[in-house]
Amino acid sequence: MTVEEQVRDIVAKITRVDKSIITRQSTFKEIKADSLDVVQALVAVEEAFGIEIPDEEAQKFQNFGDFVSYVENRVAKEEKV
Amino acid sequence: MSLEGKLALVTGSGRGIGRAIALKLASHGADIIVNFFRHRDSAEQTAKDVEALGVKAEAIRANVGDPAKIDEMFDMIGNKFGHLDILISNAASGVGRPVVDIDVKAWEWTMDINARALLLCAQRAAKLMDGRGGKIVSISSLGSRFVLPNYTIVGVSKAALEALTRYLAIELAPQNICVNTVAASAVETEALKFYFKEGLVKDSRQLTPAGRMVIPEDVANVVAFLCSEEAFMIRGQTIIIDGGTSVGLFALAGKGE
Repeated sequence: MTVEEQVRDIVAKITRVDKSIITRQSTFKEIKADSLDVVQALVAVEEAFGIEIPDEEAQKFQNFGDFVSYVENRVAKEEKV
Repeated sequence: MSLEGKLALVTGSGRGIGRAIALKLASHGADIIVNFFRHRDSAEQTAKDVEALGVKAEAIRANVGDPAKIDEMFDMIGNKFGHLDILISNAASGVGRPVVDIDVKAWEWTMDINARALLLCAQRAAKLMDGRGGKIVSISSLGSRFVLPNYTIVGVSKAALEALTRYLAIELAPQNICVNTVAASAVETEALKFYFKEGLVKDSRQLTPAGRMVIPEDVANVVAFLCSEEAFMIRGQTIIIDGGTSVGLFALAGKGE
């Protein structure tokens, strides 16, 4: 399973939307994620990948694709270390 | 008043009221464990500022809404220090919604962080205070007894916190542990900007007989006193810090318009 698929599963589970509608271009608003959904998704992703996502970084995410890219980069860095 | 040689855990002390409490307890000589969840940089800054006061500091990440994370945090404290003298249950979160829009997820998130965390932290802290006594102080708000717009879940969680404080105070008294809570009116912090629009903050200033809003240091001063031996006979109380707002509600009615 790719990072993107794992993050999509987590976001879909928290927002209770069908994961097929979540694309890299989807905004949190489009998938009806409120601020609590976003925080819970961040926390769940942090735990799944063993990383920390500072709020300052998370606030820059414009869409699901930004979120996935950030996690992919962090996971790649962790693997290098 | 001296807290020299005491070890204090302050949950949610990266910013706002928690940070002010951490610095105040440190200024009285206590070593501080700075707990944080979402803001590592702020917590590390608080720890640095605590150390600059000549005491020890350690930042620990834990979501106090998650029982497993609370256990991990206390396991770490137990293993590293073997004891704890002061627990400040300050970390809070909340979802601001009208009553009709509250769902189970928002309710549980807020109650878990604001109310259940005090229970679980107090249970673990009491074990680390066994044989030496201790102080537990939690942070409530006036929303526990007064209705504020979109504040339902937080207000209810704070009411639970205050009730829990009374039970803890009695049941932990034989272990020489003093338990109290402080309830402030709107405090000038980043969180306040999140919850309320400027209008309410402005009203709050005008409706405070003391002439200004409560600042984090006002809360920290009372918390530090409750952590001192001078406050030994205060048990299970909710101390209100609001510049007289709540007792002057009727006298001040209309002044916020």
